[in-house]
Amino acid sequence: MSAQATQTPAAPRLAGRLIFGALALIALLVWPLLVENVFYQRVGALVMLAALSASAWNLVGGYAGQISIGHVLYFGCGAYASLLGFTWFEWAPILGAPFGIALSLLLAVIVGTPTLRLKGHYFSMATIALAELARIIVTNSPVLGGGVGVSGPALPRSMADLSFISPLPYYYIFGAVLAVLLAFTWWMNLGRMGFYLRAIRGQERAARSLGVPAQCYKLYALLVSAGFTSLTGSLYATMVGFVDPDSGFGILLSVKMVIAAALGGAGTLFGPLVGAAILVPLEEVTNAMFGGDGTGITYVVYGAIIVFISRFAPGGLAEVLSRFQAWRARRAN
Amino acid sequence: MSISRRPLLAAPALLFAGRAMAQGAPIKVGSLMPLTGVAASAGNSGKAAIELAVELINTPQPDLASMPLMATTGFPAIGGRPLQLVMADQQGNPSVAQNQALRLITQERVVALTGGYQSGLTQTASAIAERHGIPYVNGESVATNLTERGFKWFFRTTPIGPDIAAIYVEFLKAARVNGRPVTKVAIVNENTEYGTSIADVIRRTAEAAGIAIALQIPYAANSADVSAQVLQLKDAQPDVAIFISYTSDAILYARTMRAQGYRPPILIGDDSGFSDDNFVQTAGDIAQGVINRSAFDPSRAGSNSFKVNALYKARTGRDMDDTTARIMQGFLVTCDAINRAGSTAPAAIQTALKATDLKAEQLMIGYRGVRFDDKGQNTLGSVLLVQLRGREYVSVWPTETATAQLQLPYRGWE
Amino acid sequence: MILAQVVLNGFLVGAVYALFSSGLTLIWGMMNVVNFAHGDFVMIAMYVAFVAFTALHLGPAFFVPLAALVLFMLGVVVYYGLVRHVMRGPMLAQILGTFGLALVLRYATLWIFSANFVSLPENLLGDVVTFAGLRLEPSRVVAGIAALTLTVGLHMLLTRTALGSRLLAVAEDRSAAMLVGIRPDPMQALAWGLGAACTGVAGALIALFFYISPMVGESLALIAFVVVCLGGFGSVPGALVAGLTIGIIESLTSFWIGPAFKDVVVFALFLAVLWFRPQGLLGKA
Repeated sequence: MSAQATQTPAAPRLAGRLIFGALALIALLVWPLLVENVFYQRVGALVMLAALSASAWNLVGGYAGQISIGHVLYFGCGAYASLLGFTWFEWAPILGAPFGIALSLLLAVIVGTPTLRLKGHYFSMATIALAELARIIVTNSPVLGGGVGVSGPALPRSMADLSFISPLPYYYIFGAVLAVLLAFTWWMNLGRMGFYLRAIRGQERAARSLGVPAQCYKLYALLVSAGFTSLTGSLYATMVGFVDPDSGFGILLSVKMVIAAALGGAGTLFGPLVGAAILVPLEEVTNAMFGGDGTGITYVVYGAIIVFISRFAPGGLAEVLSRFQAWRARRAN
Repeated sequence: MSISRRPLLAAPALLFAGRAMAQGAPIKVGSLMPLTGVAASAGNSGKAAIELAVELINTPQPDLASMPLMATTGFPAIGGRPLQLVMADQQGNPSVAQNQALRLITQERVVALTGGYQSGLTQTASAIAERHGIPYVNGESVATNLTERGFKWFFRTTPIGPDIAAIYVEFLKAARVNGRPVTKVAIVNENTEYGTSIADVIRRTAEAAGIAIALQIPYAANSADVSAQVLQLKDAQPDVAIFISYTSDAILYARTMRAQGYRPPILIGDDSGFSDDNFVQTAGDIAQGVINRSAFDPSRAGSNSFKVNALYKARTGRDMDDTTARIMQGFLVTCDAINRAGSTAPAAIQTALKATDLKAEQLMIGYRGVRFDDKGQNTLGSVLLVQLRGREYVSVWPTETATAQLQLPYRGWE
Repeated sequence: MILAQVVLNGFLVGAVYALFSSGLTLIWGMMNVVNFAHGDFVMIAMYVAFVAFTALHLGPAFFVPLAALVLFMLGVVVYYGLVRHVMRGPMLAQILGTFGLALVLRYATLWIFSANFVSLPENLLGDVVTFAGLRLEPSRVVAGIAALTLTVGLHMLLTRTALGSRLLAVAEDRSAAMLVGIRPDPMQALAWGLGAACTGVAGALIALFFYISPMVGESLALIAFVVVCLGGFGSVPGALVAGLTIGIIESLTSFWIGPAFKDVVVFALFLAVLWFRPQGLLGKA
């Protein structure tokens, strides 16, 4: 990065970036209005949702380098809080979100303190075990809907239910929350916390010996991450209006957060968004094209593309981009 | 004969007219099934049955002339336009079910939706149809609450939990074990939506009728081992063991019971897993005499069920099971309503669905008929009990309609 | 009496867990690569056994080695085609690559064999025997014996032979191993092949008493992960101890508390072990 900055004058480079960023932002805001196809609009909303959960995961998994494969724990808390609020008290689903977030933060402290001591795969496995525990407990608790699951309002009662026919409002709501999350991530990465997390990810023992309170900062990252993941769960529940143990706490969902981030580039600001923007449409389009055959070809194609990317760009698409930049810089020299 | 020939002769003229008036375009009906994921086996059977239904509707079937749309080609009341199926995979995921419902409605422009399979997914997908004002007919999801939502576009042909529990309890009250009434009943149920809801309704109905459920064992579906449950039963010695399981676990239970040498006097295996032909083929030989509930009895030669089953078997090499038959009947009811609507306008189809009044002989399944109440629930759905003999289920209860004598006790592998 | 049968069944199930985890220990533990496709390797082996039995009329004595051979080749191909490249990237790339591989294997199988359930005749190895009032299925007993044999064999291979030392050397430090003249790629390919071959043996033996479907790997994979982690990465005896422990605990919990809760106890125990011994039961600190 700094090596390149010395090669090109900083000011025009920054301007170029700003113009590019502004154009990308406008494109993101405007494209759903130009597409009349409601299905594509919904895919757009789902991209935002997947980008949200992957970006939230990115704080812990990417920036802090702690590969959690149990983030669905927090997602499920948010989704269930929303719909249980409706089931028990007839609240608008989104009103449950703060409770989901509070519960997730509490869980993150209880769960994070012991597990963040664990190294590498042991940490990943512990997070999986915790998420599975949550899934089994919910499945066996009739008061939480048991195996049947819980539903939102069958038909919208008021605007507060955030239940829309068009996917567009969801797209913009999810997008707005994503913007807040990305802004926070950007700010965090510039500051002391980003510096510490980079140190921890690089070489935790060295960072500790230099006096970085690693445990503490990993926990901070987990807290923010859990909070946003929970909010994602609440937003999901608001849109879909139903959650059961598998769709709220299923391990596949955790894995999808990880692969969206990994695909775009973990530990980069826009990596998860890029990953989600590739994976979700890929999944939906392959399903729309081949799903009805009943031959499973949907997942053969989807899986093969994931394999292909991991084979040729193990560091995700961010790596491809930096390789390309390096190549351009070399050529400019 | 004369019924079937007329449309055949008329067909070229209609085709011509259709081309001239641009009316020959197929009418699209959508269906959502779990074609991948853990329920893929059941979903693909449903898909095969619906594809068979499409073929039967689009070609004259004089043999099945008692059923609507069978003797003719396509939709005779809508200019003989052919039926086109748009199948979608809901992947066992509530959100995907919604995506696909939305795609079928807005992109494929289907005139009606069917299927859903798991109750939770039927719930989310039908919410989309309701918002877009497209009729949604479900033939297989049994969760009671689906028709309690005040929906105007949702219809369901299958009998639901209370109907199912009623026939079991009626049977349990009449059954005798070694000459004495049944006193000790055990339920073993998988603990997701299907198992939990059926187990609960059986428990409530049985207890209201004075039969106590002595033991209930919920378990997690797709386990690697089920021997502990079987040993629990062996320890408790109930008169009747009722299993509510998906196919994978049903196979495992049959094998484990044999390995552990356990046979209850009466074994009931509720529908899903135990009615699946996969179960009958892989474990049927060691589960002789298992009693199952079903609405589909293909054992009476000459009946519509018998003929449809033969056609299905010629196509897939397997017998049609109850769930698959209920899926197919739901689809056929939808198509009949579209034809009676005489138009592809959703509101007309909705009106036609509300006016549905099919008699037992017009169906390919054993319901007393199809007539929807205000909530969209079929009031004439009915269930019977069948028993496994060799690799076929024969109907044994209620005795008036039974094709075979009930045999007790459960024989298992002997 | 019933309780003795419960414990015995738990022991035999545990042996099966150990059996299908041994291959994963080798791959995951020694090379630090998570294989999300492990369950699907087991599934492929089950289909190899099924096809060999139904189409080629081969008995267990032939289809078990055949499954081992097929899976060995699959393992080597996967290593050269995918894993070798993925290992250069971060750990996330392994998750991405093997998860994609799992989907491809699972759904290619569905494509070829359909989603239907199939099975082998259940008494290929003879009928249930009663011994001192306890009922034993020959197929499960054979699987149990195979688990013990494989564990001992792998352990001997790794600790007592020159090949094992080389495998461990590459696992320990790739570049150091290269310095002393060991070519790491063939070694790691061999480790993948061996790991997959163990999985092949496991899958073919499990097929003797379990149903076979394209989705079967999903339900087995998670337990294998927990077994390997609980036992300690790379510890072959650890996987055996962990597998047996989990099998017996599951069986007793199912019997006393209820089968719906068996995994609660297993996962809680797993987390507790990690809290006190973060390196697993028999793992090196």
